[in-house]
Amino acid sequence: MQDTNLIDLFVRLTDRIGLNYQFLSGGYEAQIWRDGFITTLYLVALLIPVSLVFGLLFAACLTSGKAWLSAPVRAFVEVTRNTPTLVQLMFSFLVLNTAVSNLVGGAQNNPLSPFFWVVAVVGLHVAALHAEAIRAGIEAVPSATVEAARGIGFSRFQILVYVEVPLALRASLPALVNNLINLVKLTTVGNAIAVSEITYASIMVWTQRDNVVELMIVILAFFSLINMAVARIGLWVERRLAIPGYGI
Amino acid sequence: MTVATSQNRNMAGASLRFAAFVLLPLAILTWALADLSLGRELLQWLPYLASGFAMNILIALTAMVLGSLLGVVLGILKMAPYRLLRYPASLYVQVFRNAPHLVLIFATTYIFPFEIVMFGNYLEFPDWVKATVGLAIPASAYIAEITRGAILSIPTAQWEAAQGLGFSRFQALRWIILPQCLRRSLPPWMNVLASITMGTSLASLVGVHELLHAATDASTAVRRLDFTVIAYVVVMAAFFALCYPIGRLTRRLERRFKQA
Repeated sequence: MQDTNLIDLFVRLTDRIGLNYQFLSGGYEAQIWRDGFITTLYLVALLIPVSLVFGLLFAACLTSGKAWLSAPVRAFVEVTRNTPTLVQLMFSFLVLNTAVSNLVGGAQNNPLSPFFWVVAVVGLHVAALHAEAIRAGIEAVPSATVEAARGIGFSRFQILVYVEVPLALRASLPALVNNLINLVKLTTVGNAIAVSEITYASIMVWTQRDNVVELMIVILAFFSLINMAVARIGLWVERRLAIPGYGI
Repeated sequence: MTVATSQNRNMAGASLRFAAFVLLPLAILTWALADLSLGRELLQWLPYLASGFAMNILIALTAMVLGSLLGVVLGILKMAPYRLLRYPASLYVQVFRNAPHLVLIFATTYIFPFEIVMFGNYLEFPDWVKATVGLAIPASAYIAEITRGAILSIPTAQWEAAQGLGFSRFQALRWIILPQCLRRSLPPWMNVLASITMGTSLASLVGVHELLHAATDASTAVRRLDFTVIAYVVVMAAFFALCYPIGRLTRRLERRFKQA
């Protein structure tokens, strides 16, 4: 009850300065809009771990020194970095998704939703950006450190897991946070294939209400807040993980 | 070991370029020739796709010009000694640097009118100009940050020296500091250029006739899966051919500036 009163107050106050938020007190459109915010937040929460895991995997392949592992990943990274995410998404959705549909015999049997494709495409796109950052970090690990680890009997894989990755992650953290901010912004491409994230939900509202400016103010504030939070958390993690005297 | 990896990477880069700029066009050509009906369709639609791509380049360049002009001014304002100038500029950069490009394109497209009345004349305000403004806004926010960083990277001794020679603050900025910033901010500026160039494909979502939109048009008109595949491969290849050289040049410049 308290909640609806607050919304009514907000609607009335903003109305007085000429902003039209009346849809908030109506049921259906307010519901769509709220779900849009939740979908975007859900996408972000899901995509951050997905992109980091694949980024680490790609970086491990890139620095493995085995051509059959690094060459395909390098090609994937370069293609991903140099083509628009929207084009990748449309390509995946129209070509790969149709191929999968034909494979399983009809679109009704296809288990892959537009939501899946957004997560896959944006996740792998940002993973490719992560991979470049982590690779640079791994290559920046002093060779003396790696040799010392080899000297006390670490295998190649153990060196990667216990020596190179912990140091590389710390060194590449600023770049990773930058990529994550990019990731938050990229979730909006889901709009193109009707994933009802915030921009898609907003279009539904403003085509009915003609209140683009009002919705834009909230959307811009929303993304600014998420990205500020991501940057803050990144800085906090950076400080937590810092090794005193090591310089990173 | 580092020599070996860098050599490996050079080889991987060379083979990748070979694959992207020789093998892929050859593969598309072979496919188009092997299935002549497909080849004919592709040939028929290529001018349409090319006209779309020209729009991408036009939007990207215009947005970068606008964004650079506005961005440099904002970057300087962010360092102004007056709060009244500094705070609004900082707010602008903070909000628009964090905003998705798509949201800004939607904002400009739906908020701006489709024509402007100026001295009694109706001036058309087409969608592609709105999309350009939508991309110029984040570009200006990034470039403001780049400008600020570049100005800060110039040693303060230079300001003092300029003051000693009788330059005013503004004169020192204009004639001594900014010219040096140009060189330092070139690599990050080119990163923004690549990012904005890729962002132009978002304009297809508001109905601007650009490459992705053209490919969608073509594939709905032809209604063949193999044509859809080849059309989107052409789109990817076009963007790659545009953005990959920019990225390579950026990295080369970064390396050279680091050495200097």
